Amino acid sequence: MFISQISVYLENARGTLREMTKLLAENEVDIMALSIADTTNFGIVRLIIRENCIDNALKHLKNAGFMAKKNDVICVGIPNKPGALDHILAIIEEADVSIEYIYSFNYNVDGNALFVLRLMESEKVIELFKENNIKMYSQEDINRL
Amino acid sequence: MRSALKEHKIYDPQMECMNRDELRELQSKRLRETVKLEYENVPLYRARMDAKGVKPEDIRTVEDLRLLPFSEKTDLRDEFPFGLFAAPKSQIVRIQGSSGTTGKPIVAGYTQNDVEIWTEMVARAITAAGGGKEDIIQVAYGYGLFTGGLGAHQGATKIGAMVLPMSSGNTQRQVLMMKELGVTMLCCTPSYATFLGETIREMGIKPEELKLKSGCFGAEPWSEEMRAKLEELLGIDACDIYGLTEIAGPGVAFECLEKKGMHVNEDHVIVEIIDPVTEEPLPYGEAGELVFTTITKTGMPMLRYRTHDICRLDASECKCGRTHVRMEKISGRTDDMLVISGVNVFPSQIESVLVGLDGVSPHYMLVVDRVKSLDKLEVQVELTEEMFSDTVAEVEKLRDDIKEKIKSVVGINTKIQLVPPKSIPRSEGKAKRIIDKRNI
Repeated sequence: MFISQISVYLENARGTLREMTKLLAENEVDIMALSIADTTNFGIVRLIIRENCIDNALKHLKNAGFMAKKNDVICVGIPNKPGALDHILAIIEEADVSIEYIYSFNYNVDGNALFVLRLMESEKVIELFKENNIKMYSQEDINRL
Repeated sequence: MRSALKEHKIYDPQMECMNRDELRELQSKRLRETVKLEYENVPLYRARMDAKGVKPEDIRTVEDLRLLPFSEKTDLRDEFPFGLFAAPKSQIVRIQGSSGTTGKPIVAGYTQNDVEIWTEMVARAITAAGGGKEDIIQVAYGYGLFTGGLGAHQGATKIGAMVLPMSSGNTQRQVLMMKELGVTMLCCTPSYATFLGETIREMGIKPEELKLKSGCFGAEPWSEEMRAKLEELLGIDACDIYGLTEIAGPGVAFECLEKKGMHVNEDHVIVEIIDPVTEEPLPYGEAGELVFTTITKTGMPMLRYRTHDICRLDASECKCGRTHVRMEKISGRTDDMLVISGVNVFPSQIESVLVGLDGVSPHYMLVVDRVKSLDKLEVQVELTEEMFSDTVAEVEKLRDDIKEKIKSVVGINTKIQLVPPKSIPRSEGKAKRIIDKRNI
């Protein structure tokens, strides 16, 4: 139960992010979710885009000189109500799994905010989410958004 | 240019002001002894001389020097650690070293005699910069295998000065000691001296509150502009000192207060300038590669050692009274060695580290800059698919691993900048690996 994410390495310099978004815009790639991890001298941009755009986006990014890579992440639905995110994190904590990063979608689906999770031991948590009736979204679900 | 200290002091007038004909005689005699010593004790030299068909008897005067084969830094690496020693190990009392060209260190062995020669050279240098037994001398070169710290220490001790062995670093404490003890002379790299000067200002201390009068600054190239800045910052006479571990250490050549070139200790070394391509000796006044032959060392004598430093020699009379030939400041290198805060760095060392790390690209660029008077080396490394990860922690770990590895091989701290693939320019000929932004 994974979805694909693209990560792009950006040097911490003026204009590099725009350079990347411009390239995606020119190739009609819809950015469905985005997070940027920034350090003092570089940044990593993580993107969720529709599956049919992934190969094309990677190709264009690489041709333009970007370091870009695809990897798997989990996508969960978190109800729009107090305590919902906490509930999810409690399950992960119980399982003693570390979170690498977490960010949310720009979409609301079925009253859920969509969150992207990158975990140390994903499979273990996926099982727990299933047991706890936590709604997870598949790549197909994302493609339909 | 400052000239508060007008009087020229000379440590050993007999040797330093020797008539040049007599000096030539002395050099020829000592050269004969050295060549014999090398031929009989160092297989590498014997093989090289045999290959050229030269016997020790063929070397009679300094003019015959050109018959001898050259030696190189790579010889010290290939014969590491003891292959070039002409004396038995039991007679070696000291090892000093520096970084080699590919990460493997190079070492030099000194007999008691060699330590004394080296000490005397530095004693001459400090005396030429106005030093004497009344002085309090702060040594802020690093102590250790690097010849700077111990070299200056021994020389300053030899002239009977009060020596403050501070080593490098801990700048605020250096300034405090300098002020409280009334230090009169400073020995360190010119870049560290400038940094000390700036720190003194930042601490609100005026140069007049210090007793500093002069200093011997070396181990890295520096310009007349930097001299002017240093003299102004510290209110001193700043003299250049030159040396290399392979020949002795600092003190092989040094400036007197005239500051018009560095007197080469010609009673201990013979200096030549050669065309680096044809390897033919060039006359005084022409720019070429500096080559040294030691004529008094017994532990690790060197015949026609190619320094790869480019400069000119000046045999005109010096107002100080010394007759020894003067070398100008080094104007460049025939290879790609960088001197960063006194440490020799070869791009090939960095390359060997990168090539040795899994998944790391061999495409790199070295960017050298001087920030607040201190040299900084940035290593730009191209990212590869294997190196890149979606998590910051992994990318940072990789960056830190590269930094640590380089530190362990080269001995200096670098800033590692991971750059996008193919962003480092590819060249068809010899790759350009260095951007030096320093104004030396």
